[in-house]
Amino acid sequence: MRYVRAEDRLPNGDAAPGGRVDPSPMLGTWFATDKQSAGVVKMELSERDGAFLVRAFGAGSPDPIDWGEVPAIAYAKSVDSGEGMAVSAVFDFGFEESLLAAYSKGGILVLDTFNTFKDGSGRSAYFSREFFHR
Amino acid sequence: MIARLSDRPSGNAAPIDPATLLGDWINYDTSSRNIAGLTIARRSEDVLLSIDDWGETTVLPFSLTTAGGEAAAFRAAYDFGFARITILAYLNKRLLVVDAYATFHDASGRSNYFARDHFWAR
Repeated sequence: MRYVRAEDRLPNGDAAPGGRVDPSPMLGTWFATDKQSAGVVKMELSERDGAFLVRAFGAGSPDPIDWGEVPAIAYAKSVDSGEGMAVSAVFDFGFEESLLAAYSKGGILVLDTFNTFKDGSGRSAYFSREFFHR
Repeated sequence: MIARLSDRPSGNAAPIDPATLLGDWINYDTSSRNIAGLTIARRSEDVLLSIDDWGETTVLPFSLTTAGGEAAAFRAAYDFGFARITILAYLNKRLLVVDAYATFHDASGRSNYFARDHFWAR
C-alpha cells in the first residue's frame, strides 16, 4: 500500500473501511453565524441516490443568491474512519470559481472559501473564513 | 457579476504579494504524522510549495478581499496517482494553518480524510 505520510497508513491490524465516507453527520441546513455576512450565508448538505451534494447561497441584496447544487466530497478524520467530518466542493460560475472546504467541530461548520475570478475584471483572488450552525 | 456581496470590486485591485507566505515553515507538532515542514519560495513569476519527498507544486495565493495586496492564504495540489492531496492554508497572524484534503484512487479501501496542522516560520 503506497503512502506519502505516516497518516496515510492503516493502523496495524485494521481493515480498510471500504473507501466510502458517510456524510450523514454533516447533512442538513447550515446558517452563517454572522447575520451580516457578505459571503456564504447558507449551505444545504444532502445525499440523494448515493450522491453527496452541496447547495450554497451567497449574500445578496435584497435576497441571497442561489448558487445551485454541486457534487461534494466527504472526508473522514483518518483513513480508517468512515464517518464524515469535512467536505469540499467546487462552484464554477463561469466568471468565477469558488472552492469551498469545510470541517465540522463541536456542532459548528467552519468554511474556507478560495475564490478566483476568470472574467478579466481585475478582481483579486480572495480567501474567506466563515462559521455556520444548523 | 457577483455570487455574493464580497465579490464586489473594491477600487483598483493590487497584485497579490506572496511575501507573507515565503519561507520555511515548521510543524509545531513534532509528533505529527502529517506534514513535518514545508517551504514556499518564489521562482520568477511563480510561487512554489515544496514538501520533503512530495516535490514541488505551484501555489495559488489569495488575499483577503478583491482589492488584492498582501497574501493571506494559498491553495496547492499534489497528484501522486494513488492519492490526490489538496493543500488549503491560511495565515492567522504568523501562524500558518494547513489543511490537507486527501482522496485515494487506488483499491486500498482507505477513506478520504482531512488533516490539519499548524506551522511556524523559521
